[in-house]
Amino acid sequence: MNTQFLIQLLVNGLVVGTLYGVVAMSFVLIYKATQVVNFAQGELLLIGAWVCWALLARYEVPFWMGMPLTLVFMFVFGIAIQIVILRPMIGEPIISVIMVTIGLSTVFQASLKWIFGVNPQPFPRVFTSQSVSLLGLQIQTVYAMSLVVSVAMMIGMAWFFRASKYGLAMRATAFNQQVAQSLGISVKSVFAIAWAISATVSAVAGVVVAVVNGVSSGLSAYGIKVFPAAILGGLDSIGGAVLGGIIIGLLENIAQYIDSEYLHFV
Amino acid sequence: MTMKSLLSGVSLALLLGCAGTAAQAQIPIGHLADYSGGTSDVGTPYGQAVADTFAWVNKNGGVGGKQLKIDTNDYGYQVPRAIALYKKWSGSEKVAAIMGWGTADTEALTGFLAQDKIPDISASYAAALTDPEGASGKAKPAPYNFFYGPSYSDAMRAMLIWAAEDWKAKGKSGKPKFAHMGANHPYPNAPKAAGEALAAELGFEVLPPLVFALTPGDYSAQCLSLKSSGANYAYLGNTAASNVSVLKACKTAAKTAGDAANGVIFPLRTAVAWGGNAPGMKTVMEISKMSDPTGKVYRPVHYIAAVCSAMYLKEALDWAVKNGGATGENVAKGFYQKKDWVPAGMEGVCNPSTWTEKDHRGTLKVDLYRSKISGSTDGDLNDLMTKGTIKLEKVKAVELPRKPEWFGW
Amino acid sequence: MATPSLIPAGDFRTSYAADTTIFPSSASRNAAIVGALLICFAPLVFTEYWLSILIQIGIFAIAALGLNILVGFTGQISIGHAAFFLFGAFTSAYISNNLPIPVFFAIPLAGVVTALIGLIFGVPAARLKGLYLVIATLAAQYILLDFFSRADWFSGGSVPASANPFSIFGYTFRGDRQYFYVVLGYLLVSYLLVTNLMRTRDGRALVAIRDHYLSAEIMGINLTKYRTLSFGLAAFFAGIAGALYAHYQLVVSNEGFGIERSILFLAMIIIGGTGSIMGTLMGTAFVVLLPESMEWISASLRGSAIDKALSLNTNITFLREIAIGLIIIAFLMFEPDGLAHRWRQIKTYWKLYPFSH
Repeated sequence: MNTQFLIQLLVNGLVVGTLYGVVAMSFVLIYKATQVVNFAQGELLLIGAWVCWALLARYEVPFWMGMPLTLVFMFVFGIAIQIVILRPMIGEPIISVIMVTIGLSTVFQASLKWIFGVNPQPFPRVFTSQSVSLLGLQIQTVYAMSLVVSVAMMIGMAWFFRASKYGLAMRATAFNQQVAQSLGISVKSVFAIAWAISATVSAVAGVVVAVVNGVSSGLSAYGIKVFPAAILGGLDSIGGAVLGGIIIGLLENIAQYIDSEYLHFV
Repeated sequence: MTMKSLLSGVSLALLLGCAGTAAQAQIPIGHLADYSGGTSDVGTPYGQAVADTFAWVNKNGGVGGKQLKIDTNDYGYQVPRAIALYKKWSGSEKVAAIMGWGTADTEALTGFLAQDKIPDISASYAAALTDPEGASGKAKPAPYNFFYGPSYSDAMRAMLIWAAEDWKAKGKSGKPKFAHMGANHPYPNAPKAAGEALAAELGFEVLPPLVFALTPGDYSAQCLSLKSSGANYAYLGNTAASNVSVLKACKTAAKTAGDAANGVIFPLRTAVAWGGNAPGMKTVMEISKMSDPTGKVYRPVHYIAAVCSAMYLKEALDWAVKNGGATGENVAKGFYQKKDWVPAGMEGVCNPSTWTEKDHRGTLKVDLYRSKISGSTDGDLNDLMTKGTIKLEKVKAVELPRKPEWFGW
Repeated sequence: MATPSLIPAGDFRTSYAADTTIFPSSASRNAAIVGALLICFAPLVFTEYWLSILIQIGIFAIAALGLNILVGFTGQISIGHAAFFLFGAFTSAYISNNLPIPVFFAIPLAGVVTALIGLIFGVPAARLKGLYLVIATLAAQYILLDFFSRADWFSGGSVPASANPFSIFGYTFRGDRQYFYVVLGYLLVSYLLVTNLMRTRDGRALVAIRDHYLSAEIMGINLTKYRTLSFGLAAFFAGIAGALYAHYQLVVSNEGFGIERSILFLAMIIIGGTGSIMGTLMGTAFVVLLPESMEWISASLRGSAIDKALSLNTNITFLREIAIGLIIIAFLMFEPDGLAHRWRQIKTYWKLYPFSH
């Protein structure tokens, strides 16, 4: 039993898992609030990452300013998608809505490849030190940052839904749209805000991944991994989605461990 | 639907009009390129080079007085689209040759090419394409497949020979450990068997291969496996984008100083890189000007390899036109005409190559280069090359013996 | 259900048998027969390129038909259809290469084997609804794809497997012109079979499950049985289509049949109109011709003024992908019932002309 290796993998899995959890959280948010299965979740990560990269690399904006700008952009972008594309699709069968989000993901991917090219780009350096020593294990600073950011976002979302007025309105709409409407909640705005928050949170995850691995079209793969995470955690539970993401991250790395140590019959 | 049929009707009319005006005295060539698919990071410079070279040839009089008509298509590394394009090119207006691209589709087309007698000069250098008659028993017959440069297997063999010498030169004892890393896909898998066999022969301990995808991503898990298995030498079989992801992840896992790609050994298909000291480099720069009038863009190694491939085809076409016309059969014969052949104007750049009816291994000389990186690699590739932050230095030129046991795999 | 088409005056039914005919009127029946005969002359008239497009439309129409049984008539969802298509292709290649069974029988046999695999995946899927069903079929897709790339004995691993050309009684069909008839034959038979299925008891049961499964269950329809059956049927047609494709290309490889192909199949039936058989054919033709027409447009644009203005050159591929995505979205937003509905509207307009409202 190669313990050193296993522990490194578990740490890796935890870091990646919290990222999956964050993305799964935004996916479940859209599903709970608007009953829409969003196949374009990975592309939202990608858009956030590319926009941030463009601001930092092309326009030489410092990180502490570029990041909030990206978030504002994604917020507006999320609202725009909901209003332009998804509002006319309210009431259509689920399969049509799925196809629309799939079509959106195709359009986004191709547009990003056009605007930014097919080559992956390294992210401009954000931190001065490369790795941080924690409990005798070397963790990259960016990984530590991503852990902190992911946990902060989860806490932020939990607070939002429990304590703020808008969060309460969203939970009410998710529970029963008609009753919520009759109580004066604007269901349309709730939908728009759900998309906006989901886009913003995904963008943060996208930027974190980009800082670690560079920006490339491989980021949309996160959009597919979101499905098992959401299913594991339960589609109706945001906290469950987080847990599901962490489990998937850990499972991936444990599988790699088992594969490399035990599964060689050649 | 009306709008769409209107649009397609207009396009059809345009297309028919264009086809009608095509001159008879033109030699059609098919060109498969990957500008948007899984290998687009290397497909883009290669495809650009092929287009530039043939544009340069046309500008300087064409082939035997006839202009070349290149039909460039981006097939996105999808085999079905390549096959559909092939059907177009082997139909009524048969092409004289195809500039192919990827391993998966080139291997799929071998049978069709032999049947329709159309030579394919591919950018896939799989050893399975080097056996025209199937005599080796290890590959199916591929009489109409050609490529310039050492095959993946031969390149891997050369690197292993270097690695064995390097291990001894460093004074280390015992068996060095070797691992093959690549995607589960024809392109990275092509040299795996050959490499692992030679590694065992040379005294390496061959570790189980590691799998990572062709798309860039997070490969820290694979790097940790590599580190824990204690490999001394690893062969990264994928294309640039995903290889870079692995190198970055492994750099962190191994805690080495310097930038990720520093010290990586790779085989160069041509004797020199861009800007190197060779008489043929002038021709390459002229060709580059076809799409870059400023002459300042740094052309990667794939660009120059593509220029060589295209120039070989051009000279084969020259011979064919003089000896019975530019048909696929004659072009293939044109490849067998010269020994230690270097196209005119490419001296010092393209390695001398010989193709025969029985052996399509053009050249067995592998030039090994090492990348030396002396600073941060964030920034434009052109600037980095001109400033000397990235340098390619020649390590060794390995001339492999033309062994029959190594033929076809 | 969409607006039923108006029956012209004088066309009334006096017996139950007459009411369940496949073609509503003798005019449409004759039109179909004439159309089928005319298509038989296609290989003599069209170029190789157009024939290959027609063959592609034919093959994908069979696969889309299977998917329409599942999605349009039974109300399930599946985004794993491409994996069954590939499975049929590999099976047929394997059977004709390794067993002494001629290609003529290998194709239906491949269909049957794929149907069995579809049943295996259908058993758990029959109990799921909504997003969970989507994910289950997505899982089927990835599992099968992974199996193909790892099972060297079956699929040749990462090197493409080769399939034999089609032959009957020793006469080998070479070239698109001859293979066209094989595909046409299978297309006509499949469509007739499915249209017939829809007017039988089982077909009505499937439609009942789609419309209101609770009532269907109350009336005694076994939900699990019919849902599983539906998966099996979808896989059967996908397998046949895949086998035809294998013997057409003479090479089978994993590429190009991942999740994007499954999505394209879904697009074919949604654009054509779920629940409509003629719509399947129209939708398939649309989805196959869409990238081709984009190719023509981009080929004609290459080198022209617009190309230089937008500095397109190699980015034309992306423009094509964006256009395809946008057209699919636009179709779904503005024509949710598909081409079949639009066709019915056009027919109604002309029937009522000049009194249409």
